[in-house]
Amino acid sequence: MAASISGYTFSSVCFHSANSNSDHEGFLLGEVRQEETVSISDTQISTAELLQVVEIHNHDPCAQLFSFYDYAGKVNEDNLNRILKDRRKSVIGWYRFRRNTQQQMSFREQIIHKQLTQLLGVPDLVFLLFSFISTANSSTHALEYVLFRPNRRYNQRITLTIPNLGNTSQQEYKVSSVPNTSLNYAKVIKEHGAEFFDKDGVMKDIRTIFQVYSALQDKVQAVCGEVEQSERVKEKIQEDVNKLKQQIALRKRKTAEEERRLREAQNAESHPTSEENSEPSETSLLSRVAFHAPSAPERPGTSPNPPSYSDLLSQEDSLLSSSSSPTSAALLPRPQAVGSPGHPTPGPLGMGLDRQAAGQEDDDDDDDDDDDDDEDSSEYENLVSEAAHLPMVSASVLAQGRPAALSPDGDARGSQTS
Amino acid sequence: ILYCGFYLWKMNNMSPEVALHRISPELRPLLCSVVRNGRVGLDSTNCLRVTDLKTGCTSLTPGPCCDRFKLHIPYAGETLKWDIIFNARYPELPPDFIFGEDAEFLPEPSELPHLVQWDAGDPECLLQLVKELIQQYHQYQCQRLRESSRLLFEYDSLLEDPNYGRNMEIYAGRKNSWVGDRIVLVCPSFISIMSSLSQDTALDPGEDVALLSVSFEDAEATQVFPKLYLSPSIEHALGGSSALHIPAFPSGGCLIDYVPQVCQLLTNKVQYVIQGYHKRREYIAAFLSHFGMGVVEYDAEGFTKLTLLLMWKDFCFLVHVDLPLYFPRDQPTLTFQSVYHFTNSGQLYSQVQKSYPYSPRWDGNEMAKRAKAYFKSFIPQFQEGAFANGKL
Repeated sequence: MAASISGYTFSSVCFHSANSNSDHEGFLLGEVRQEETVSISDTQISTAELLQVVEIHNHDPCAQLFSFYDYAGKVNEDNLNRILKDRRKSVIGWYRFRRNTQQQMSFREQIIHKQLTQLLGVPDLVFLLFSFISTANSSTHALEYVLFRPNRRYNQRITLTIPNLGNTSQQEYKVSSVPNTSLNYAKVIKEHGAEFFDKDGVMKDIRTIFQVYSALQDKVQAVCGEVEQSERVKEKIQEDVNKLKQQIALRKRKTAEEERRLREAQNAESHPTSEENSEPSETSLLSRVAFHAPSAPERPGTSPNPPSYSDLLSQEDSLLSSSSSPTSAALLPRPQAVGSPGHPTPGPLGMGLDRQAAGQEDDDDDDDDDDDDDEDSSEYENLVSEAAHLPMVSASVLAQGRPAALSPDGDARGSQTS
Repeated sequence: ILYCGFYLWKMNNMSPEVALHRISPELRPLLCSVVRNGRVGLDSTNCLRVTDLKTGCTSLTPGPCCDRFKLHIPYAGETLKWDIIFNARYPELPPDFIFGEDAEFLPEPSELPHLVQWDAGDPECLLQLVKELIQQYHQYQCQRLRESSRLLFEYDSLLEDPNYGRNMEIYAGRKNSWVGDRIVLVCPSFISIMSSLSQDTALDPGEDVALLSVSFEDAEATQVFPKLYLSPSIEHALGGSSALHIPAFPSGGCLIDYVPQVCQLLTNKVQYVIQGYHKRREYIAAFLSHFGMGVVEYDAEGFTKLTLLLMWKDFCFLVHVDLPLYFPRDQPTLTFQSVYHFTNSGQLYSQVQKSYPYSPRWDGNEMAKRAKAYFKSFIPQFQEGAFANGKL
């Protein structure tokens, strides 16, 4: 059970009590409601918790002691009605104030409480006990209050909270559900309400704000559409890239085999180089770009000296003329990832390119890219100058720093080296 | 054998006069009668005590205006601490009570006539109300005793006996507390004995009391602790706390058997003491008649001492006779004292004789005669000793 009392009611009770020169008592008006909290967690489907909430809205002080009971503690119902009048329905408890006494219900209070419970028909009638303790030299006074529900056998004391009594800058300012019965308030609101409220009783500002909100929502929706579009395009291009990578890999293997065969043949015959030169142009047109990959850059560990890039550069310039520039995935140094800090410090060319040539998963590449950008600067050593020379590839293609897509007919665009 | 404790003493730390002074004037008469005359319960030597005087008025109210306090009430070996709450501004209104730890004690107002017809003008009203509350409290304890059938049986059996009947206080102990159940009752035969005792000795039946308190630490009555509480004068009259040992409660025994046992023991003791008293009186009387003018002084109340001034062949000496408590079982101590000689420490030279011809079966006369004979035989020896060891 939780109980709360509004700050003004509490202070009013204290005021009446502190000003009385004897014990003081009165009735508490308010409402009791059941709150059901349903909580859903991973471990169980749902649990419903029933909490009884007592809210004290108002109080009705008694003008004198023994006003509704006699010396034997017997409650006189007529007197009770005379005091409460039509407020009787909203009585949820009663209170007593006594100075310098223990926080325990007294003999007479218990007797009266039992009778009030019956007469008022409130099974869980509460009793609020105020005790005012003063030190002997009157230097310190303490107002103690305890809320009892004496009709229960256990847990008779309930914590009474006073909303908004505390540091409201850290807590939320709570609005209570106390019904506003003030006539003056109702009058003023009626008079001036039209400036703030529209005909439906909704605040005008709310409508305006709602309109702004709707507009924003529309824009967001539109952007969503655009994003979706670009995502699809990107997806498609990514697919193409993957396909081409696979093809490259395949061709590499083929050309490697052919190379080997050629070499063996050459070694056996010691033929002129014309065959050599013609080989590359003969074997495949599509894999021209791919062919360069094995011959020009070296695999890691096999050649410490990076090859000359002049050939590469000229090819790349022409290749990058279109928006979806078909730069060699193998040749192109890893472009700067969007949002990465500064441009990637170059590392050994072989390593970087090897990973691209092997046709690794784009995701892996991406992850590796991001990691490598920050962690391993050695990889990009040789690419510094290249990065400076290379034009920025369009965002649609290189949004995530992936190698540029190859156009299927890349060789047709680019000039061919021979 | 259980130690029978010496328990009762007047407990007024705060003198009643001081307390009354701070009470609001209109309430003072009520409190007066409670504190000064208030005797509730079996333990009539222990008065009601008032502490923790506080006020229900604002702190700016000029004193004296205390209208609420704690009342300490002895009951069944415990002390009940009840808060009594008045309102100084409305002194005609009856008080409210907080029954301390007995939060479940809720007497029926209809059983409290002095509450229902509270009359602030009657100074005895509060005291009467307190007595009524204690009666209700007693019943409440009996109710609680119903939870333990063994003790209930004990109580009921005692209740039926007219000897003990109403003169009992019950305290049903709390669960989870070291305090067990307790029955306190007045040894009934004691009352009659006390009145006879009081004629002979300086005992005041109104002031003095003998209570038997039996504590049951557990419901099966395997740990039972009886205690005898005597007011100081009775205890003294009976020979001090060491003299009175009550038998241990027999395991498996009942109070209805045990209590008479204890009472009988007490009775016997008292009888013995009375007899002793008579015997001593007889002894002194006999000496008075035998030694006539030789008697210097004697204890005329308890007859425990006698001093004689005698002469033998021009040698004067004093004889101090000390009669022990268990006279005639124990023989009196004779102290011979020279009137001429001093010891080194400046005292009169004396010799104590504890063993001399004596028999407890002699009557007073016989004892006086024999004593005289003994003096005659012993004095030469004493004289020599005095001259030898004493200085003039």
